[in-house]
Amino acid sequence: MKALAISRVNLVRYFRNRGSIFSVFVLPLMIVLLLGAASGGAALPKLGFVAPTPDTFTTELEQSLKAVEGLRVVKVESDDVAVRGVERGDLQAAIILPAGYQQTLRSGMDVGIRYVARKSPNIQGITGVVNAAVTRQSTLLRTARFAETRGMGTFDKALAVAEQARTALPSVTVVESTAGEPLPFAGLGQFDMPAQGMLVLFIFMNTLTGAANLVQTRRLGVARRMYSTPTPVHTMIAGEALSQFTIALIQGGFIIAGTLLIFGVDWGNPLGAILTIVVFAAVASGAAMLLGALVSSDQQASGITWAVGLDLAALGGAMIPLAQLKLLSDTVYRVAHVTPHAWALEAFQSLVADKGGVADIAGFLLILAGYAAVLLLLATWRLRTVLVR
Amino acid sequence: MGAAWTIARKDLKLRLRDRSAYIIGIVAPLGLALVFGFVLNPISDFTFTARYAVADLDRGPVSALFVDDVLRSTKGVRVVKVASVAEAEALVDATVNPLGGTGDKQGADAAFIFPKGFSADVQSERPAAVQVIGSQSSQTNAGVSLALAQGYASELTSVRVTVATVENLTGRRVDRLATGVKVLQTPNPATLVDETTTTKQLDPVTFYAAGMAIFFLFFTVQSGVTALLEERRTGTMARLLSSPIPRSAVLIGKMLSAFALGIVSMTVLMVATTLAVDANWGPPLGVALLILAAVVAALGIVALIGGLARSTEQANTASSMIAIILGFIGGTFFDVSQAGGALARLRFISPHGWFMQGLADLSAGDVSVIITPVLAMLAFGLIAGAIGMARLRKGLRA
Repeated sequence: MKALAISRVNLVRYFRNRGSIFSVFVLPLMIVLLLGAASGGAALPKLGFVAPTPDTFTTELEQSLKAVEGLRVVKVESDDVAVRGVERGDLQAAIILPAGYQQTLRSGMDVGIRYVARKSPNIQGITGVVNAAVTRQSTLLRTARFAETRGMGTFDKALAVAEQARTALPSVTVVESTAGEPLPFAGLGQFDMPAQGMLVLFIFMNTLTGAANLVQTRRLGVARRMYSTPTPVHTMIAGEALSQFTIALIQGGFIIAGTLLIFGVDWGNPLGAILTIVVFAAVASGAAMLLGALVSSDQQASGITWAVGLDLAALGGAMIPLAQLKLLSDTVYRVAHVTPHAWALEAFQSLVADKGGVADIAGFLLILAGYAAVLLLLATWRLRTVLVR
Repeated sequence: MGAAWTIARKDLKLRLRDRSAYIIGIVAPLGLALVFGFVLNPISDFTFTARYAVADLDRGPVSALFVDDVLRSTKGVRVVKVASVAEAEALVDATVNPLGGTGDKQGADAAFIFPKGFSADVQSERPAAVQVIGSQSSQTNAGVSLALAQGYASELTSVRVTVATVENLTGRRVDRLATGVKVLQTPNPATLVDETTTTKQLDPVTFYAAGMAIFFLFFTVQSGVTALLEERRTGTMARLLSSPIPRSAVLIGKMLSAFALGIVSMTVLMVATTLAVDANWGPPLGVALLILAAVVAALGIVALIGGLARSTEQANTASSMIAIILGFIGGTFFDVSQAGGALARLRFISPHGWFMQGLADLSAGDVSVIITPVLAMLAFGLIAGAIGMARLRKGLRA
C-alpha cells in the first residue's frame, strides 16, 4: 500500500499550504455567490422612465408599462441619469420621452421616443414589451389624427370615441401554442447553472494545479529517491494520481454540499451527482498527470493550468451555459463537446432539469470514463520515462 | 541607473527563456479571449433567418396582406405554404435544428394558421384570432413569429378601432378594407428610437478580451517581485548587494522588467484580439493611458504583497489569491455591474473594475472621460507601491 502512503504525504503537503484551502473551499463558493447575484434571477429587470412633462399621455404610457409583469418601472429625473444608469448596469433599459410629449403629438407632429438598453443577449424581451406599450398608445393617437385630418371631428372628440371603441370592441388576438421537443436544461434555478459550471471549472483547474506538484517531485529528486527503494513506477504514479483524485473528490463534495446548504442549489439524484463527480475527478487527475509529465518547470505548469483550465471551461459551457451556446451556433455547441466539461455538465443538467437517474446519465459517464482512461494511460506511459530519468 | 537597466535586461532575458512569461502574459489570456470571441461572436454576427409555415385556410385579403407585406418583407424569413393545420404542425414538430438556418433544414420554426373566415371576421366586429404554433426547440425564431403575429393583430385591432371611430363620427358605414389599408399607411405618431449603440458599453467580445488581459496582467507582473524574493532565497541577492550597486537600483531593475512585460503583454493582447476576434478597445491614446495606469496599479499591489510576505511561496500564493479576488470583484469574468446595488459598486475597490469602466466609458470615443479611472488606478499603484517598495527595500538589508 505504498501508493496510499505516497498520496497521504502529498495530501498533507497540499493542505498545509493555506492557498490550497482558499482555492479548494473558499473561492468556488465565493464565485457561485457572485455569479448567482450577477445573473440576478431574484431581482426584476428595471426600466428607467424619463418624462420631463407630466401630462395625460405620459401617465397613460407609464401605467401601461407598469402593468407589464416581470418589469419594474423606475422614474428617472433626466436623460443623462437614465443613460448612465443603463451604461453602469443599474437599469436594464430606459425610455426617454421628449419634453412636451402630449403637446407635440396633439399638434400633429410625430415624436421619437429615445430608448437605450444594455448590450446583452437577453434584452429583446424588454425591448419587445416597451415597443408594444408605445405602439398601443401610438395607434390610438393615429386613429384620432386620422379622423381629425379628414374633418370628421376634433382630435379630442375622436380620441374619446376611439378609446371607447377600443374598450367596447373585441381585439384581434393571437392564440399561441407550442410543438416539438423542448430545449434541454430549461427550468434551472438562479444558482443552479453557475454552481454546475463552477463545479466542473474548479475541480478541473484545481486538480490541474497538481501538475506543478508532480514537477516539483521530479525536480527535487523525490521521484528518483523513491525509485531507488523497491517501489515500482506504477505504484508511484498511482500514489500521485490518487492524491489528485482525492483532492478533486473533497472539493467536489464540498461544493455540492456548500451550494446545497447555502444557496439551495438542486443537484438532482444524489448517486448520479456523486458518480459524475467521481468520473470527472478521474478525468481531471488524468489531465494533471499528463501535464505534470509533459512540462519541465512548475511555473510553466501553473501557466498552462490557467490557460487550459479556463479555456476548456469557457469552451465547454461552464461559463456560458450549454443551452445558450446551442442557441448561438451549432459549431460552437459541437466544439464544446470536445471538452470533458461539456459531458459532465450534460450529466448534471439531465439529473436536474430532466429529473434523470443514474441510467439516464450512463452514456455521459461512459464518455467521461473514456477520457479518464485515455489521459491516465498517456500520462503513465510518459511519466514512466520522465520519473526515472 | 545603468545597473538598474542591466538587472532589468537580465531578468527579462531569464523570463523569456523560461517560457512561462509567454504562457501567462500572452497565451493564456489570448486563448481565453479567442474562446470567448468564438463563442460570443455569433451574437454580434447574428443574421436572422427563419422558416415559417403558413396554413391560410382563410384565403382572404387580410391573411394575404400578412403573408405578402409582413412575412415576405421581413428579411431572412422564408415562407412555406401548407394546405392544412396538420401539415403545419408536422413541419413545426420536425424542426430539429435550433439555429433557424434556412439552408438544408427541414421543418419550420413556427406556423401561422389563419382560420376560415378570418378576413371576414376582422372586418366585422366579431372576435378574430390568428393561431401561432412555435417550435420549442427554436425559441428565438418562434418568439419572432409570435411578435410578428402580435404586431399584426394589434395593427388590425387599431384598424378596427379606427373604422368604428370613423363610422361613429360620420354616422355612416365605410368601406372597411379600403379604410384599413389607408390607416395602415399612416405612420405611427410615436415610435421608439433605439439609441443603444451610442451608449458607452463594451460589446461582449471586447469585454472578455479586455477582462482576460487585465486579469492575467496581475500574474504577469508578479514575476518581478518573485524574482526579487527568489534571489534573496538562493543567495544571489547577497552577492548582488556586496557589489557597488545601490539597493534602489536593484529594486528598480526588478520592477522595470515586470513593467516592460506588463506593457508588452497588454499591447500584444490588444492588437491580437482586435485583429482576431474584432474586439473594439477604443481610441488608442485613451487605451494606452488606461493600460499604463493598469500596469502601475498591478505592479504596486504585487509589490505590496511581496513586501508583506515572509517567503516566495507565500508571496506567490497571496498574489494569486488577491489577483483572483480583485479580478472577480472587478468584473473581468462576467459583468458585475449587471448585479446592481452593492455588488456593482464594490467593483470600484478593485483596479480591474476601474479599468473595465474606463474602457466602457471610452467606447463612445471621448478620451477625456478616462481621467478618473486612470487617476484611481494610479492611486492604487502608487500608494500600494510606495509601501511595498519601502518594505522590500528594508528586506534587502537582511
